[in-house]
Amino acid sequence: MKKYISQQNLNTLLDNLIAEGRRVVAPRMSAGIPLYEPLTSSTEMVTGLLPRRSAKEAFFPVCEELMSYEKEGQQVKLTDVDPARFPETVLVGVRPCDAVAIPVLDAVFSWDYKDEFFLERRRKTTIIGLACTTADDACFCTAVGLSPTETRGSDLFLTPLVGGGYAFESCSAKGEQLITNHKELFTGQTKAKTLPLAAPQTEKIDVKKVKGWLDEHFEDPLWDGVAVRCVGCGACAFVCPACHCFDIVDEGTEKAGKRRKSWDACGFWKFTHHASGHNPRDLQPKRYRNRIMHKFKYYNDKFGQTLCTGCGRCVRICPVGIDIKAIIDTIMNSEC
Amino acid sequence: MNNQPIDTSIYSTISEAIQTEAARVLSAGEVTAIVGYAAGRRKGSAQPIIITDHDDAKKLIFTPACVNNLAVYLTKAKKEIPKTGKVGIVAKGCDLKALVGLMGESQLKHEDLYLIGIPCVGVLASTVQPATELTTETIASKCCECDAHLPTGCDFVPDVALPPPPQLEGKYPAEIARLEALAPAERWAYWKEQFAKCIKCYACRQVCPFCFCEQCLCDRNRPQMVETTPRPAGNTAWHIVRAMHLAGRCAGCAECERVCPMDIPLNLLNRKMAKELKELFDYEAGFEVNDRGPLTTYTEKDDQSFIK
Ligand code: SF4
Ligand code: SF4
Ligand code: SF4
Ligand code: SF4
Repeated sequence: MKKYISQQNLNTLLDNLIAEGRRVVAPRMSAGIPLYEPLTSSTEMVTGLLPRRSAKEAFFPVCEELMSYEKEGQQVKLTDVDPARFPETVLVGVRPCDAVAIPVLDAVFSWDYKDEFFLERRRKTTIIGLACTTADDACFCTAVGLSPTETRGSDLFLTPLVGGGYAFESCSAKGEQLITNHKELFTGQTKAKTLPLAAPQTEKIDVKKVKGWLDEHFEDPLWDGVAVRCVGCGACAFVCPACHCFDIVDEGTEKAGKRRKSWDACGFWKFTHHASGHNPRDLQPKRYRNRIMHKFKYYNDKFGQTLCTGCGRCVRICPVGIDIKAIIDTIMNSEC
Repeated sequence: MNNQPIDTSIYSTISEAIQTEAARVLSAGEVTAIVGYAAGRRKGSAQPIIITDHDDAKKLIFTPACVNNLAVYLTKAKKEIPKTGKVGIVAKGCDLKALVGLMGESQLKHEDLYLIGIPCVGVLASTVQPATELTTETIASKCCECDAHLPTGCDFVPDVALPPPPQLEGKYPAEIARLEALAPAERWAYWKEQFAKCIKCYACRQVCPFCFCEQCLCDRNRPQMVETTPRPAGNTAWHIVRAMHLAGRCAGCAECERVCPMDIPLNLLNRKMAKELKELFDYEAGFEVNDRGPLTTYTEKDDQSFIK
């Protein structure tokens, strides 16, 4: 017997949460594409499509205000953004490759500096993951040791069943709490089978071996070979659930304005452009090398984790067909 | 119209011809490099490749997944690609228009290039998987209104009989007409919704052959010219700058729209500008080098009705 929640009960849950004033974020169609966005009704949720951007933006928005300033005469008034005002949120319909990236990001946002903007949203958010029933040939979660039923990162996990509805599984205290608060919706039991789940077929990645190679090959002809054609956009980093670089700028006039934080990307030439005019990563292959190094070596050196969940978004989106999986396969199969 | 397959049987002959010709010009030392397409890991996928060794010529292909406009690699913005000696480039008709445009802007000289023109019936839309068959529904919108299936003025064009290109209705004229018919406030609402999705990844700029500025105005921060953050104000400014700076230059390859991860219909803006340019200056991107672009020259015949 599986614990069961019908589609109708799930919708009721979401609508009740919205009615209670919670922010409910889920994949929905937004000007033609699926994105994780706040719902106004459960009927807006779409589950069959991978959102174009990952779920990281529920914690790390594309752009957010950090503070504002105002100048009056000789006085400058600074107003901080108060993270206590971030809303209680339920993030639902999250793909396993997106959900699993959130605890990976916890490491960097609570390391030498505790990023309250990320961490406060994290504290206030309950994540409801959803097993995948479809994959394409860009998906490679199984190659990095994950799977379409990976529950890490989710507080509650749903698996779609034949005949509709979901098997549910609580994965954390937050998940338990959500069930307790809405227990009348979580009483079902069923013998229904799970729908056929996605099964991405790709060569396994031996993360240790890849890191071992990267440790020795900061300089290597591979970088030119794979990335000379990189056009230096931010697409791969921006759609990635694990990329987390950001920029901070002050925007406004001399009288008043705001300090804002927004996504940045190591593919941009300006990313390491020094004020002196010097750029240590002057050409695209050096920038792309950083992308691979950060994901499979540096983050591993620092936090013992890999910064890629195999979601395949960068593979699908790269304008010039740069395929991170193909590159890692090449590294895996190289002799030295 | 029903979904009809499109005959792409000439593409395998074209691939062979490219391989033979690339091997020949590389071996003979006529070029130092060839920019073309090669197969990728994913089934049916194709990606840009730059080869310098005649042995690598066998990697070159042409398929409906060869969507990129490779002209971007020849601009001064792509510092990674050495521009020593003559460089060969594989170009579909729409890509050739961009190369010709760059010649008109004194960015490239034909004598430094070896142009391999591709007789082309069309390529895949960005919304489908690379292994998809080319059909009247999976074809890129730009190809539906293409007038450049057979490039002219190239150094080499594979000798194949181009089948009559499918007669298709492109989405752009109808969409432009729809938007033109809207009240300004509604039109503004439409673009506001589209621009709101922009995340300033600048993929559209980075693939554009005409976005070769050393420092894009929209990247400047000393002083900041437009807001650089992905928010309504800066996004709108970016899209206005992009549309205006490409007016009279855009070759219509629609790469910007293809690569936008947020599916913002950028080519609609380009097509609208092209329509204005045609009406006001009788200008269209083509295969003839024109070093007096419509917006960089003044003639007394220019429309002045806007001066009131
Ligand atoms: S690197 Fe690419 S495949 Fe890996 S998590 Fe990021 S977007 Fe997904
Ligand atoms: S790898 Fe692709 S998506 Fe990433 S910066 Fe380079 S061209 Fe852009
Ligand atoms: S626009 Fe014309 S030349 Fe360009 S890819 Fe389409 S059919 Fe080929
Ligand atoms: S490619 Fe799309 S999302 Fe990226 S900057 Fe251009 S319009 Fe914005």
